[in-house]
Amino acid sequence: MERSHFHQDKTKDQMRKRVVVTGLGVVSAVGNSVPEFWNSLIEGKDGTKEITAFDASPYRTKKAAEVSGLNSQTHFSGRELRRLSRCDQFGLVAFREAWRSAHLDKDLIDKERAGIILGAGSGGILSVEKYFRDFYQGKGRPSPSLLVSYSLATTTDLIAMESGLKGPRTTTATVCSSSSASIGVAYDLIQMGLADVMVTGGSDSLCEVSYSGFSSLKLVDPEGCRPFDKRRQGLVIGEGAGILILEELEHALRRDALIHAEFLGYGICADAYHLTAPEPNGEGVERVIRTALNHAGVSPEEVDTINAHGTATPFNDIAETRGIRRVFGERAKAIPISGIKSMVGHCLGSAGGIEAVATVLTIKNGVIPPTIHYEVPDPHCDLNYTPNHSIKRDVRVALSNSFAFGGNNCCLVFGKYISNAECGVRNAE
Amino acid sequence: MRNAECGMRNKNPKSEISPSQRLFRAGGRNPKSTRGQRIVITGLGMVSAIGVGREAFWESCLLGTSGIKPVQRFDVSSYRSKLGGQLPEIDFKTFIKPANLRRMDRIGKIMVSAVRLALDDSGLDLGKEDPNRMGISIGTGLGSSDTVDQFFRSILREGPVGAQPLLFQTAVPNAITSHCAIEYGIKGINITFSHKETSTEMAMVYAYHLLKEGRAEVILAGGGDELSEPLHHVYSMLGALSPGRGKGMEGMRPFDRERNGIVLGEGSGIIVLETLEHAEKRGAGIYAEMAGVGLSGSTDGVLRYDLNGDSIARAMSMAAEEPAGVNYISAAANSTPELDRAEASAIRKAFGERTKEIFVSSLKSMIGEFDGSGGIRACGLALSLYHGMIPPTIGTDHLDPQCDLNVVLGQSIKKEIRSALLNSCSNGGSNISVWFKRYA
Repeated sequence: MERSHFHQDKTKDQMRKRVVVTGLGVVSAVGNSVPEFWNSLIEGKDGTKEITAFDASPYRTKKAAEVSGLNSQTHFSGRELRRLSRCDQFGLVAFREAWRSAHLDKDLIDKERAGIILGAGSGGILSVEKYFRDFYQGKGRPSPSLLVSYSLATTTDLIAMESGLKGPRTTTATVCSSSSASIGVAYDLIQMGLADVMVTGGSDSLCEVSYSGFSSLKLVDPEGCRPFDKRRQGLVIGEGAGILILEELEHALRRDALIHAEFLGYGICADAYHLTAPEPNGEGVERVIRTALNHAGVSPEEVDTINAHGTATPFNDIAETRGIRRVFGERAKAIPISGIKSMVGHCLGSAGGIEAVATVLTIKNGVIPPTIHYEVPDPHCDLNYTPNHSIKRDVRVALSNSFAFGGNNCCLVFGKYISNAECGVRNAE
Repeated sequence: MRNAECGMRNKNPKSEISPSQRLFRAGGRNPKSTRGQRIVITGLGMVSAIGVGREAFWESCLLGTSGIKPVQRFDVSSYRSKLGGQLPEIDFKTFIKPANLRRMDRIGKIMVSAVRLALDDSGLDLGKEDPNRMGISIGTGLGSSDTVDQFFRSILREGPVGAQPLLFQTAVPNAITSHCAIEYGIKGINITFSHKETSTEMAMVYAYHLLKEGRAEVILAGGGDELSEPLHHVYSMLGALSPGRGKGMEGMRPFDRERNGIVLGEGSGIIVLETLEHAEKRGAGIYAEMAGVGLSGSTDGVLRYDLNGDSIARAMSMAAEEPAGVNYISAAANSTPELDRAEASAIRKAFGERTKEIFVSSLKSMIGEFDGSGGIRACGLALSLYHGMIPPTIGTDHLDPQCDLNVVLGQSIKKEIRSALLNSCSNGGSNISVWFKRYA
């Protein structure tokens, strides 16, 4: 493996703490646990199916990447199920997996220094819709407990209740980039010295408002999600949760935690261009990737793969391709890019979290998941999108992009974890 | 492989040191965040029920004007609580470019107007600023709850064909932040937080940290919300709203022994935060310094505040690095039996014998309670530090004996303030304190 610059920087830069990923949890259309999810991704399984979460019969397209086989009864009591929204359930299930896999349910940690920040999209609006549908149509008296989900912070609070976390707690609400942004802010809360452990990522569920909204903007592809393919017509809405445990390195080492990868840094920028359309030349995408690399102390040469935003809308994929080209130049073609929305759909508030889990697993396992349904190349999208089959590749540094309505762009930088001692040895070489 | 019996496993890390010491020690390893730039407030913009713009707002604050009246924006006849802190009619054309104005819903207009007021107040010349080094960090409950509701009602009525794309694009909570970025071409950090009553304070905490680390030079931080029927309905059904009281109507009376719930308000407030170096270079006027933050959580229930006040106390002691200098607290108290008592107990826990020396007031008594209220309250606090005046808590006649703080009642008082805390607490248990100092 080549020597890496960023590790050198990190050992010199005593001012910044190193932050690592010590736990992962996921609920998605292609798997409700990390192993199941990962196997589906590397096999290229499509999670798109007929919608059952709400009545989709009036819609032109009736498909979404819906979570199935979760079997809520095994996870929650009847009483819990009555008050938990679909979004809360996904979040709690993914959280439990992450928390246990990080061994934080057994290790004694200072709960006052463990916090939580999730990204939200439509949150528990599905429950709120249920309430207001009955209310506006004058059907009986809907239960006010459905309204607890009115706040986007409810899932975050519920996870804190369950685990007794008394550290910093907040929720980001930039929708399609929410949970990527939450991971970045979690990193900064650790840097600020406010926490040693942060639960982060996001959860979101299908609901009629977002489904009909994206449909009305003509951004939903009835044929499936085909990122970067010439035939692409738009996204397939997905749902689920992706939760990561970020931990300050020394804290993780003290408790002998298993380290999946290192979180190196991130960037958040705005296009300041349009409410829904991306800046077409990729200038906004370039800026956010450069900001992220700069913050992470990583040079563009070190990036081995990119988990694309890749929504399969005509404009996004071109803008993203152009942005990547602007940063990496000719080398852009040599970087395998994954568009996993082709399998898990666009999970809105949890997209960034689920994709961050995939990015960490990519680094950990040395396998880059594919972009499926890729058949017809688009001359405007001329990079290596890892078509249809996963590839084996040692990955030092991976990026995960998330872009939201209004040009709220976010880019995360993860790297292979290398111990301080190893960094020292390498630097001395 | 992990070794469960490993001797290095942490001993109880909850050792003797206090949270603020612990924070200080952590900061000591992280000089960027403690010895970095000083961060100052150089501009204030507020669109509030008691005044639009700094001068009108501050005059009302000092007079103790109530912005709470019977709601007129929507029909409240079927609700027990009919009160709201409603904004006056505003001519948004005077604040916003016409081409952008057409694309905005009401909350978008309210937010962009506050940004405009803050930018004007700060004297920033955007032509001279690097747009990549400017950012915007906003907190809100749901952004446009009204637009979401309109959108949902039209699909209920007409099915999928009723879905209006123009409504949907402003229905996302971050649309308000995007409007601001588009209106002024601000290309740096752009983020929206939504965590109940601590949304806005989190937006300020994040902006503060980025500025400290030199990742931006100027950040517009704050937030806002609007009154809407669905919001009124939800709070009403969850039993949070005050029914008001017979003759006076004012429902908000923080710390009063007869307080019985909140009155929803609306509006937005933005503070211009910038590094001292940048502010000095352009010769900006400085209202106050933002000097520390504290964040904590409690776990008493998804709709409960921190019941015993321990977490609120922890946030305060984390934020105020020199607690001896604090002589004013802009309280989170929102006229609910639970929070006001918890906050009072937290202040006693954090300040002990000094509690009686510390003036406490709740601006929410004038503007009502809403998730994005922190922006307006931060503006109020900056003005208190600058002018040495503390606005009163109105509506409160008889202090609850369990809230026996030095609450400023009746009329505003003149008092030089060395440093002050802005408290915020959400139901569900997120607590944030921000420490502001008089700029010297």
